[in-house]
Amino acid sequence: MIDFLISRLLSALLVIAGVVCLVFLLIHLIPGDPVDVMLGESARLADREVLRHAMGLDQSVLSQLTRYLTGLLQLDLGDSLYAKQPVVGLLAERIPATLQLAFAALLCAFVIALPLGIVAAVKRGTIWDWGAMSFSTLGISIPNFWLGPMLILLFSLWLGWTPVSGRESNASLVLPAITLGTGFAAILARMIRSSLLEVLGEDYVRTARAKGLDEPHVLWRHAMRNAWLPVVTLIGLQLGSLLGGAVVTEVVFDWPGIGSLMIDSIQRRDYPVVQGCVLFVSLTYVLVNTVTDIAYGLVDPRIRYGSRP
Amino acid sequence: MIAASLLFTLSCSHQDTPEERIRFGVGAPPLNLDPRYTSDALSTRLNRLFYQRLVETDSNSMPVPGLANWSQLSPLHYRFKLNSTAGKYPDGRVLDTNDVVKTYRSILDVTRTSPYQAALAMIDEVKFIDSETVDFLLNRADPLFPAYLELNILPAEHIDNDHPFSTQPFGSGKFKFLRWAEAGHLVIQRRNDGQLFEIVEVKNPLVRTLKLLRGEIDILQNYLSPELLEYLRYQKDIELLQNSGSNFSYLGFNLQDPQMADLRVRQAVAHAIDRQSIIDKVMRGAARKAETIFPPEHWAGHNELTPYDFDPEKSRRLLLEAGYGPNNPLTLVYKTSSDPFRIRLATIIQDQLSQVGIQVDLTSYDWGTFFGDIKAGNFQIYSLSWVGIRTPDIFRYVFSSDSLPPAGANRGRYTNPVVDALLKKAEQAETLEAQTRIYQEVAAQIHKDLPYVPLWFEDQYAVQGSRVTGYRVSPNGNYDGLNHLILKKSREFSHAQAASAH
Repeated sequence: MIDFLISRLLSALLVIAGVVCLVFLLIHLIPGDPVDVMLGESARLADREVLRHAMGLDQSVLSQLTRYLTGLLQLDLGDSLYAKQPVVGLLAERIPATLQLAFAALLCAFVIALPLGIVAAVKRGTIWDWGAMSFSTLGISIPNFWLGPMLILLFSLWLGWTPVSGRESNASLVLPAITLGTGFAAILARMIRSSLLEVLGEDYVRTARAKGLDEPHVLWRHAMRNAWLPVVTLIGLQLGSLLGGAVVTEVVFDWPGIGSLMIDSIQRRDYPVVQGCVLFVSLTYVLVNTVTDIAYGLVDPRIRYGSRP
Repeated sequence: MIAASLLFTLSCSHQDTPEERIRFGVGAPPLNLDPRYTSDALSTRLNRLFYQRLVETDSNSMPVPGLANWSQLSPLHYRFKLNSTAGKYPDGRVLDTNDVVKTYRSILDVTRTSPYQAALAMIDEVKFIDSETVDFLLNRADPLFPAYLELNILPAEHIDNDHPFSTQPFGSGKFKFLRWAEAGHLVIQRRNDGQLFEIVEVKNPLVRTLKLLRGEIDILQNYLSPELLEYLRYQKDIELLQNSGSNFSYLGFNLQDPQMADLRVRQAVAHAIDRQSIIDKVMRGAARKAETIFPPEHWAGHNELTPYDFDPEKSRRLLLEAGYGPNNPLTLVYKTSSDPFRIRLATIIQDQLSQVGIQVDLTSYDWGTFFGDIKAGNFQIYSLSWVGIRTPDIFRYVFSSDSLPPAGANRGRYTNPVVDALLKKAEQAETLEAQTRIYQEVAAQIHKDLPYVPLWFEDQYAVQGSRVTGYRVSPNGNYDGLNHLILKKSREFSHAQAASAH
C-alpha cells in the first residue's frame, strides 16, 4: 500500500508539473498584454518598457517559466494584475466557499441519487423504474443557467423560503447546492441502477436469496457492497469537477468561489490569477483521484494494492 | 464522505445581514480601491465616496474648486490653496497639502506604474509651499490643467507606510471603509449620520432584479436589459430613477482596411442605421442620439453638426458610387463583445445594413479577446462605448496620428494632418475659450471624416426598493447619490423628531 501511495504521489506531482508548464505557455499565447492591463492604453511607451522590464516580460519565455516555478516552490504565485494582491491570498479567500458548495452539492446529489438508483434497480421495469429514470434524464438535460433562476423564482420569490443569492446564511447554500447537485444526482442514479442491476444478477446474490436471507439483507450486505466500486469512481471524478469550480452556478447565485474568480480573471486577462486558479483545479483533480484510488481498496476487499500474492 | 460534507457545510455558516444596512447591488466587484491604480468603473465610483479631490467638475464638465481654489501664476505655474472643505481621515487628522504633494508624487513615480501618469505627464514638479498651499510646475502650458486634478488624495503617512489602499481605503471623503464582509461584499459607512451600506456583488442581471424584488438589495444602478427595466418600472414598491447620460456609444471603422478606407462606404453605413428607432423600440427611449463624443451640455460639446440621418436611398447611392451593388455586394465583419444586449444591438444594425445591401458577418467574443482584437486593428467594424469622458484631450488620445495603439486609443487608425495640427494648436492655446473653439473645429472635421458612426448617449438609471428613498442619478453614473440615500424608516424617524422639537 505504501509503495502504491508513493507511486501515485510521484505521478501526481509529474502531472501537476506538466499542467503548470502547459498553462504557463498557453497563457502566453492568448492575445492581450499584461502591461496594457496594468497601465491602460494611454501609457507612454517608455513607461511600458520600464514595467515590462520590471515584470521580467522582456526575458525569454523559458526564463520567465523558470522564475514562475521557483516562486511556486515558495508558494508565491505572484500578484494579481488588477487587485495588486498576492494570488495565494485571493485563492485562500475563495477556497472555503468552493469546498462548501462542492460538498453540499455532493451531499444533495447523494441524497437524491441513492434511493432513486436503488428503487429503479430493485423495481426494474415498473413505473418506479420509469419514474426514476425519467427524473434522471430530466436532471441531465436541464442546464444550470435555467434551473438556477427557476429555483430562485419558486423558492425565493414565490415561496420566500430561501435567499435569492449570495453566501450570507446557511439557507443561501440550499439553491446552489440543489442546482449543482441535480445534474450529478441524475448521472449518479443511473450509475447506481446499472451497477446494482449487474450485481443483482450474480450467482452469489442468487445463492444468498436461496439461503433464505431477507431482501434488505441481500441488497445491503451482498449487492450494494459490490456495486459501490463504479459509483465511487464516478463520485471521485465528479467531486473533482465540483471542486474545480462550478462556474455557471457560482455566477447565477453569486457564490464567491474559485469558478467565478477564474472566469472574471480570464475576461480581464489577469494572468497570474488564471494560472493560480488552474493550478488549484489540477491539484484538486489529482488529489481527488488519488483519494479515489485509495478508496477502492477500502470499498472492495479484493483489491489490495502493493500486496504480495 | 457524506458525513464530512454535512459537517463542512454546516461549519461554514454565516451571520444574516443586519436590517439597518442599505444594500447596493452591483454587477462586478471593485477590483482595486487604491485610487492611484484604479481602472475599473466600480472602484472609481466607490473611491469618489472615500476620498476628496482638489478639483471637481460641474454639470457642464467644467473644472470647479473641490478641496482647493486655484490661480494660474503663469502658463506653467498653478497655485492651489486648500479651502474649508478639507475633511478628516478616519484617524481624526485633517487633510493637508503634504498629503496632496505625496499623492501626486506617488502617482508620478515611474516605479509605481500608475495608469494616471500619462495624463499628468505635463507636471514637472509638485511643490509644498505651506500646509495650505501647493504649487504645480508644468513642462508645457495647458489651460485645461486643473481638470486633470480630479484625483483622490491619500494620506501622506499611509503612503509612506505602504498602507494596503487596494483593499482598505483610508480617505477624508464622506464615506469610510469598514470591512469586507466577504469577497465582493464591502461594508462602508456614511460619516455624517453613521448609516451603513453594503456593496453587494450580484453578477447576473436577472438575479440582481429578483434580489431587488425580494428586498435582499435596496438599490441597483444600470446594467439591466431594457426588458428587465421595463418590468421593474411597473412593479409595486419599486421606484425607477432616470437621468440623461454622457456615455458615448459608437460604431468604429478600421480605416486601414481597404473597404472601410473609402469615405463613401462609411457614409453609406452611417445613413443605413436607423438610430432613432433603435432608441425608441429597443432601448425604450432610454438614450439620445449623439453626433460627437461629448453631449450637448458639455462645455466642449458641438451642437451644430449635421446628423447622419437614416436615409437608405442615399446609402444605396453611396454604395453604388463606391462600386458596390446587387452583383457585387459589400461584405463586412462586425465584431462585438459577448454581452447579450450588445449582441442584440449588433444584430439589429446587421439587419438594417442588410436592407441597403451590406452583408455583415457578426462575430462576438469574450471581452479580453474582443478588446485585444480591436487594439490590434484586427477588425473592420466594431461597436463600443466611451465611459466617463470629462476633458476634450480625449480627441488627442483617440484621433491623433500619434495615438495609434499601443501609444494611444486611435483604434480605427485614423490619420488626418489637419486634425493633428488642430490638436497641437489646442494644446498650445492659452485660454479655455480658445481651446474650446479649436476642439469644436476638431469635432467638426472628425464628423466629416467619419472614422466612427456616433450612435447615442445611453441614459443612466437606478432602481430603488421600498425601504429606501432619496437617491439621485448622476449623468456620468457615479455613486454620489449615496450621499442622499436614506432608509425610509429613518426619514420617518427624523420627521417625527422634527415634529416633536417644534
